[in-house]
Amino acid sequence: MTTPVLEIRNVSKSFPGVKALDDVSFAINKGEVVGLIGENGAGKSTLLKVLNGIYQPDQGSIFVDGHPVTITSPRHAFDSGIAMVFQEQSVLPTLTVAENIFLGREEEFLRFGLLSKKRMNAAATKELAKVHLSVNPAMRCGDLSFADRQMVEIAKALSLDTRIKGHVTILLDEPTSVLEKREADLLFSIVRDLKSRASFVFISHRLEEVLEISDRVYVLRDGKSVKELESRDATVKDLHQLMVGRQLHHEYYREARQAVPSATTVLEVQSLTKSGSFSNISFALHEGEVLGIAGVIGSGREDLARCLAGHTPFDSGSLKVKGEQVHFSAAYDATAKGVGLVPAERKVEGLVAPFTVAENMTLAALPKFVSGFRIRFADENAVARQWIERLSIKTPSTATMVGSLSGGNQQKVVLAKWRIAGVNILILDHPTRGIDVGAKEDVYELIRDMTAEGLAVILLGDTLEEVIGLSNRVLVMRDGEVTATFEAAPGNKPAQVDLVSHMV
Amino acid sequence: MYQMFLGGALRVKAAALAGGAWSKQWRRWAPVAVLVGLCIIIGLFNPNFFGGANFVRMLNTAAIPLVICMGVTFVILMGSIDLSAEGVIAICAVAASMLVANDFTGIAIGLFSVPAAILIGSLVGLLNGFIHVKFRIPSFMTTLGMGFAGIGLATAILGGVMVRISDSSFRDYLSLGRVFDIPAAVYIAGVAVIVAYVIQERTRIGRWVYAIGTDEATARNAGIPVDRTRIIVFGIAGAFYGLAGALSAAQIGRGHALISQDRLFTAITAIVVGGTALSGGVGSVLNSVIGVFIVIVLTNGMVLMGIEPYVQKGVQGLLIIAAVALALDRSRLDVVK
Amino acid sequence: MKMESRTRLQTWLPLIVLVVLVLLVGLYDRTFFSAGNMLEVTADTMTLFLMASGVTLVIMIGGIDLSVQAVASMTSCILAVYLPRFGIFAIPLAVIGGVIAGFAGGYVSTRLRIPSFIATLAVSGVVLSAGNWFSETKSVVIPGELSQTYLTWAVGDFLGVPNEIWVGVAFLLVLSAVLGLTPFGRLVRGIGAQERAVMASGIDVDRIKIAAYTLSGTMAGVAGIVMAARLGSGSPTLANEFLLPAIACIVVGGTAITGGVGSIWRTFVGALIVQVVRIGMTFIGVSVFAQQIVFGFILVAAVAVTMDRAKVLVIK
Repeated sequence: MTTPVLEIRNVSKSFPGVKALDDVSFAINKGEVVGLIGENGAGKSTLLKVLNGIYQPDQGSIFVDGHPVTITSPRHAFDSGIAMVFQEQSVLPTLTVAENIFLGREEEFLRFGLLSKKRMNAAATKELAKVHLSVNPAMRCGDLSFADRQMVEIAKALSLDTRIKGHVTILLDEPTSVLEKREADLLFSIVRDLKSRASFVFISHRLEEVLEISDRVYVLRDGKSVKELESRDATVKDLHQLMVGRQLHHEYYREARQAVPSATTVLEVQSLTKSGSFSNISFALHEGEVLGIAGVIGSGREDLARCLAGHTPFDSGSLKVKGEQVHFSAAYDATAKGVGLVPAERKVEGLVAPFTVAENMTLAALPKFVSGFRIRFADENAVARQWIERLSIKTPSTATMVGSLSGGNQQKVVLAKWRIAGVNILILDHPTRGIDVGAKEDVYELIRDMTAEGLAVILLGDTLEEVIGLSNRVLVMRDGEVTATFEAAPGNKPAQVDLVSHMV
Repeated sequence: MYQMFLGGALRVKAAALAGGAWSKQWRRWAPVAVLVGLCIIIGLFNPNFFGGANFVRMLNTAAIPLVICMGVTFVILMGSIDLSAEGVIAICAVAASMLVANDFTGIAIGLFSVPAAILIGSLVGLLNGFIHVKFRIPSFMTTLGMGFAGIGLATAILGGVMVRISDSSFRDYLSLGRVFDIPAAVYIAGVAVIVAYVIQERTRIGRWVYAIGTDEATARNAGIPVDRTRIIVFGIAGAFYGLAGALSAAQIGRGHALISQDRLFTAITAIVVGGTALSGGVGSVLNSVIGVFIVIVLTNGMVLMGIEPYVQKGVQGLLIIAAVALALDRSRLDVVK
Repeated sequence: MKMESRTRLQTWLPLIVLVVLVLLVGLYDRTFFSAGNMLEVTADTMTLFLMASGVTLVIMIGGIDLSVQAVASMTSCILAVYLPRFGIFAIPLAVIGGVIAGFAGGYVSTRLRIPSFIATLAVSGVVLSAGNWFSETKSVVIPGELSQTYLTWAVGDFLGVPNEIWVGVAFLLVLSAVLGLTPFGRLVRGIGAQERAVMASGIDVDRIKIAAYTLSGTMAGVAGIVMAARLGSGSPTLANEFLLPAIACIVVGGTAITGGVGSIWRTFVGALIVQVVRIGMTFIGVSVFAQQIVFGFILVAAVAVTMDRAKVLVIK
């Protein structure tokens, strides 16, 4: 048996409130291309970041050529023969192509302390030839097209091949998501050419591509490695099934508790487009309805949510709130029309951590608590106490700093804030992210209560189960477009695998 | 999800770039266009502007600001700011004037005082960088405090008096002596610009400055010793201030604590007007050269047109605002403090 | 628990430092403890406090205002030049000068999205030119009889206490109330602590920020008026050398430059600390010039102690 070039054994990695990797083992052999697939949050990117030295695993070990190693930084990973092509590009627009390729490794071009640009550019030309990119290496990367920059990024990783003796591993995190078909094909032929020298780990949400290029595929789910299979034995449909796993029944969804939406439209979205994010999105949202939006990273659903809440502008299309044409130039315009956003980054956008529970709760409705110039502290506290009780928030008092509460209770404070502000459209962006299981169930209950009271909710769930279970309808987005709409009324819930097949 | 935002933002930016190639080129050459335009307008109002004597005068006025700007530019390219220039120059000017033949100390080491001033400047600069990086204090605070302390130190050493320089060769070699009718200070500033350009283009530190200013996380991931580079860059800036201090002392033949008054303001105006972005990563020492000449030509033009000198500072203030507002890439920052 | 005791210490530390410093200086020179001397020292501190009180708000939102010394100088010129012509109305005119300068700094910084230290530095250049224009670059003397008529509120005394102290305490109370009781004050704190969360809660953050800068300019204007009244003249360089002590007394008082944490009374205490340190240094023979060095280092040290490093990932 041959020793794998790169292997991890029993690696775990936790972040506050979530186990991103749970006892994952994984190996890659010489000249092999290994695909890594899974839903959002399954742990793919975390795994690559562990291999690349950006994260340190909590448990488990990493072996390079059979020797245990501790990878402390991306640079260290590089010197150990592991390079990564980042999903978000790490090419610096202000440096030239050559400078980007050799960033941090300029020593070999130094002569008497000065850089030889000529030699650097010549070496870069060689690296660029590998990816069949014929740009001038002295050009600034900011002047290249996005796809060309992605190729530079790949050339940068491939340059490892000529710099390091021995076998190398290249990690490709969604390298094709911004490439045209032709460029993606080129990338694949490069990968095949280099297999004698390098191994590849390939992440993509385009499952056909994964099957096409890789020899073996690992399927991750909820931080666990659930299946390892040979690509030639697998079909896209198998992968779909493996990604979603268990089938859930209606008890889990508590369908009986789900409100029935009224026919009144509160929000109407017409061919909303934001270049580079999403295009031509249309839907209507009704009173008392939960509209789920499902999609993988890069589907554009998060950006859509932010546009609907006025956080970022969109390019074209129209937005109507209760029949009235609206234009949101900032979040305060949306709030004024009764639209609120519960953001995914709770600690950055949801809460002011050093503020008290009461101060956070009234933040979006401050004018209601002011007489003259003065805040009516007694009223504020009374209302805060009322909501603490109503949402059963566990806090010592209304004057406790919100930063010291648990994630679940913090999220309830965010929800209370919007309820006090009296919004009637609430956009929930990953409302259960980073909170524990019991608290998640509480948040689900609150969502059901809200809709029973007539609020309309747009839900971007952490998991498909969440989206299907809570929604009356589900929009599925892929690459910035709506690919399917499912009715999800109680007793008639779509299967996860149906959604997944439109997501990837 | 956060990554998705980044991805989205980048893609949008890429689209904007593709469409904005023309405006990009324009931005790159705008400072030069402004300089040429200014010269033409002022020349039309006052033909004396184009006289050889006036050009030499302007070059001479530009010499010290050029040297200062070479230092500050590196710090700004890195995304930081250095407000300590006046203080460091004051220390170095006083030190230089006390090291050549003078009426205050018995020391007279002649031209060796120049490397001494540069050394002192770079040490203070390194201290700036060290405090900023190791104690994690924003550079504007560190250098503001250090700048005040520098002026205080210069004043305290002299007890409020001035040092008179009696070494005329020091003054000749550094400032007053003329070759082809052009003062020595101009040649020295020219050499400083070349040195700065070589540092920027041909050394690792120079390239790393851009990498750090553009995206510090990526720079770190690439294995660049970010903290060390930051400290060294503040040291390099200090070295240029040291040279500027020696030039200032030679120019007026005296050393005192207020020798560098208003220099910082002019330097920042020049750098910003030259097109170097305060957010870091964009610009060049050559941009700053253009910027210095824009400021000098404008000042010269205002003098020629008989505008009160006190108006200059106001005009510079407006220039800073206009230049930053026009050049700032707003898509890059959502929260500005 | 540990965190709480740390915050408590940070709250009371400036006051403790002040008491210790007063005792130290008093041990050196017993006359320091006399009521008359104490009042005089406090009165001398008030112009510095007035200038710093407004900047405190700007620092609390996470910005900085480097234009205050130029603004104070300008308003002293406006007062001195127009007092003979417009009488009492010269005072509101001077204050308006401060309001406009502060507003300009805030507007440039927030609407044009320019970092505050550059925006206010640029505005201070314009303000300096304006001061020179008002005074025709000269120092303008305020005639004694006009001072008697219009400016006794600032320089006389009442119930045996110098009026500077009454003015300072009045602004201390008013600004503390603004910060503690009004929605504006709460939002200032919120913006400093977590600007994006405040923005996402539907608040027009720019408006609050501009208001904070405007108040800062206003207070600098008031400081300039009191300064001119005390010195009997206005000049375009009157408040030079005041910027560093003003920022020093804010951070020494415990307001963090990272924003969100701070109060006006802290700045009051900080101003007194700066003043007592200055007197102490004079006693032990540190020259006035060398004191600047000490303040430079005190500033950096105080920033290092108070700032919240967890909040900024990349320190530029």
